Amino acid sequence: MVLTLAVAAGLVVGLGWARWRRHPYLPPELRHLWLVFAAFLPQFLILYLPATRRIFTDWFAAVLLIASQITLLTFVWLNRRVTGASILLCGVALNLAVMTVNGGFMPISPQTASRLVSEDMLVDARLGSRFGTKDILLSPQDTRLEWLADRFLPPNWFPYQVAFSLGDVFIALGVFWLLARSGSPTQVIQKGIST
Amino acid sequence: MKNQFASLAFFAQKINRQNLQMVLVIISLVMLVVGVGAPTDGGGGR
Repeated sequence: MVLTLAVAAGLVVGLGWARWRRHPYLPPELRHLWLVFAAFLPQFLILYLPATRRIFTDWFAAVLLIASQITLLTFVWLNRRVTGASILLCGVALNLAVMTVNGGFMPISPQTASRLVSEDMLVDARLGSRFGTKDILLSPQDTRLEWLADRFLPPNWFPYQVAFSLGDVFIALGVFWLLARSGSPTQVIQKGIST
Repeated sequence: MKNQFASLAFFAQKINRQNLQMVLVIISLVMLVVGVGAPTDGGGGR
């Protein structure tokens, strides 16, 4: 959910910048958009939709999640020449790497998880079990590529608590840059020349 | 009914290809970041 804020922020900055420069805002020219729909729909059914989520086993969900991420990585790779896509590509690759080596889910330590849910809820959860939508509860010693896991948190005083990975930071920056730069004059001129 | 259809057709004409492309790109990017990102949301309260 928090990553959609990066999309909104990038769009607002891009539109604002284009308006200020009196240029039309042109959306980024992304190719093979069907890949995103094809990759996300199974994820939505298996991870997000409560009615269908409980039908599938964790093993199946993990396999599908990795397959979906590989498809999305392919989409970003095919659009790597678009501004910001290279940063996005880094983020997708980092998240995919850490999830692949940790059984298909994003590892999160009990210590980090304790900042997100009440201790009562955490007592019931055992190590190795799924946590949230895409995470798996693992101790740092049992986590491979621990530095890429969901280990970053906002300050304690911050009203909205969310655990995120280094890959998530790159994804947020990449999508922000992609949308913010789309309305810039250089992009508009380049698009004008290419057409 | 005929009036409704005419106003719908008029509205559809006003939506140009670029607006449609923009909406499609935004929806795709939202799906992309939700699909590849893995932040764990704790929300406002614990």
